[in-house]
Amino acid sequence: MNPESRLARFPFPLRADTYRYSTNIEPARVPVRTETGEWGGVLLDVDDDYAADLAERKRILKADPGRLQVLPHVRPACWDALLTCLRELAAQRPDELSLRCEGGELAWRNDLLGVCARFREGDDDALPGGPLGFLGSQIQDDIVLLDQREGALWADAGLVTFASGWSLRFDVGMRFDEVHGPVPRVHEDGVLARAERFLLRLRPGQEYRRTNWSLAAGGRLDHSAESSPEWAADRARAATARGRELAALVHLRVEVQHLVRLGASGALLFLIRTYLLPLAELARVPAWRLRLGRVLAELPDDIAGYKGLTPFRDAAVEYLLGS
Amino acid sequence: MTGLELVVTRSAEVVPGVRELVLARPDGGPLPAHPAGSHVVAECGERRNAYSLTNGGAEPREYAVAVLRRPGGRGGSAWLHERRPGDPLVVSAPRCAFAPVLTARRHLLVAGGIGITPMLAHVRDAVRWNRDVELLYAHRPDAPAYAADLDRLLGERLRRTSDRREFRGLLGDALRRQPLGTHLYVCGPAPLMELVTDTAEAAGWPAQRVHRERFTAAEVAPGTPFTARLRRSGRDVAVAAGTTLLDALHAAGVAVPSMCRQGVCGECRVPVLAGQPQHRDEYLDEHERAAGTCVLPCVSRSETGVLEVDL
Amino acid sequence: MDPGVDHAGTSFAVMSFSAEGRAVARRWAAALTATGAPVWAWHGDGATERALAELRDRLDGATVGWRLMLAGPEADVLRARSLAVERDAIDAEIRVHVCGTGRKRVWCAHCGGTTETECEAGQAVACANCGRGLLVHDHVSRRHAAYLGVLADPET
Repeated sequence: MNPESRLARFPFPLRADTYRYSTNIEPARVPVRTETGEWGGVLLDVDDDYAADLAERKRILKADPGRLQVLPHVRPACWDALLTCLRELAAQRPDELSLRCEGGELAWRNDLLGVCARFREGDDDALPGGPLGFLGSQIQDDIVLLDQREGALWADAGLVTFASGWSLRFDVGMRFDEVHGPVPRVHEDGVLARAERFLLRLRPGQEYRRTNWSLAAGGRLDHSAESSPEWAADRARAATARGRELAALVHLRVEVQHLVRLGASGALLFLIRTYLLPLAELARVPAWRLRLGRVLAELPDDIAGYKGLTPFRDAAVEYLLGS
Repeated sequence: MTGLELVVTRSAEVVPGVRELVLARPDGGPLPAHPAGSHVVAECGERRNAYSLTNGGAEPREYAVAVLRRPGGRGGSAWLHERRPGDPLVVSAPRCAFAPVLTARRHLLVAGGIGITPMLAHVRDAVRWNRDVELLYAHRPDAPAYAADLDRLLGERLRRTSDRREFRGLLGDALRRQPLGTHLYVCGPAPLMELVTDTAEAAGWPAQRVHRERFTAAEVAPGTPFTARLRRSGRDVAVAAGTTLLDALHAAGVAVPSMCRQGVCGECRVPVLAGQPQHRDEYLDEHERAAGTCVLPCVSRSETGVLEVDL
Repeated sequence: MDPGVDHAGTSFAVMSFSAEGRAVARRWAAALTATGAPVWAWHGDGATERALAELRDRLDGATVGWRLMLAGPEADVLRARSLAVERDAIDAEIRVHVCGTGRKRVWCAHCGGTTETECEAGQAVACANCGRGLLVHDHVSRRHAAYLGVLADPET
């Protein structure tokens, strides 16, 4: 994507000069005006990186098929997620994307990728990767499906190739609070319990979103626990970099997360769309530069540690707030 | 209530006293999808009643409900029995607190009378996804609603009876021989629900395996009178036995948003500042119940003589 | 802490590992004898394949009302619990008491191998499968019955 367009669509997430975890959930599809433009008007953001991101996902998945995990009982929810998202895409870009019902079969046509597929709902073999694998080849978001039972949410399926420091293969089958076990403060503060209660009560069709952020070394989307040997070198480099070198290497990494209560299956669809912006680009917007600098300077050590930004935090603050 | 403005497309008495209404958008367009076991709250004249959806929930173009005429009821069912094709009807978006548990190895459904309605949707969903399902259905001798549909869908997996002793025997037997991993779903009149949950508890079923859909708030005991103290307006509102806190507040001109009026949807939740609520709803979780810091005035009452609320 | 016996159950399986686990299991067995409910008891050094095969047989034959009670080192208790959950038991049907050694299982995020060793979260262990140095995270998976191990950051 060209730098101007990336900047204009970037979902800058910080709304104050200090940051703590909060139950920052808001209705989906409400556009947010920023210093540079706007984001958030749609559920599934298809941008200029569409083909590139999906090619990257395909490459990662081929090298490590374990990034796709489906516990058998959530199969109906995978189909529900697929059809819900394909319908959404088609409604959003009717000229290029369509889902039609033809003689008991569904026909998906994606002119952006040159993909046509015909399948029957419930026939996992008709689609490469099954319903969830196929969905992951049509949207840039990472996907997690949460099943609701025993008064809790369970992360029972997903396709996650662009994780930030976690592993779906390890986390699959966990309860919502177990998934978030390592996140500091959210348990004692009740932030997580409030969020889960809110999610448990979402009604069919309701859609919300939140943002999350961290700093990451290197421009790769895949910062999963699995791939840490691959990004360790960038991280080590960032720990000693200063000034321009640091600003080119270190990125603000923002996740726009959507939470959708699926209708037919009742499962909760959790979409994670990841955006990266090098500090050098971000610094072109004075308000963002100041705000991120102040947030990083004030951020408590435990949160900074969990976000993985300790090695280059001080240098980033110096770059952003220095004269 | 921001509802769906629908029209009745079919209206037929399926067995004496039970009328099925089929609803659609005036333009015939798609309706919100929903899981099996969902309900809508229908505006029935002056009343609002919750009804289970019996239709399949994936991409529905029609919602179907079955309404039992309750001669002693508050008029909502009689009003619905008069609806005919072409009549408008406003219902809420579907809500669900009774969906099939996807991890279940087997689904054991137990229905009494009109409690069969959510089970119809469960059975359709189970057949569609090839789930192991069994239904035990207690009904009046003359009125086994949907018996033919269920026979066709379930064959031998349906056991039905109108004999109380036989039902108890079938129930006890069924609850003692289910493989680990079975979930139990029950819907019907209060005494039947109590019988099923008590029998299940005695047979060692953990509460997490037992799922209840209760749409019979009218059968709950009237309770004792108490006073609702409204902190913000500094007023006291007397709540008589047999009157709900919500009705008492409305009668006193206090606006509280509400929907299902049966302790299911949570719309009317009010913060409690002092006193101890007597929770009768199906909505709050155990922590909220224990904390006693909020109450659903549509069904819940007070353990203490005075309940102070943030109104 | 000993969670005690779940008196709502109608039949029980009690599995214990290590000497400390056995002492707990004996207490449970005594409390259950008084109720007259059928009790199946098993004791061994650890959650070996043989132990898990025995448990699998019990799970396959169990009806609702059955309860599982586990006592012993964390690694063994978690493995048995993981099998029970995979075979349709729910948390409410399982009681555990961790005692004995601090033996844990660590799952390697890079090769998927599991290493069983005495360790604490925050320590580094070598993956028995791929040899990488792993930092043990305070993050447990009920399915893998293990802690997460990720390549230790060179600079930390």
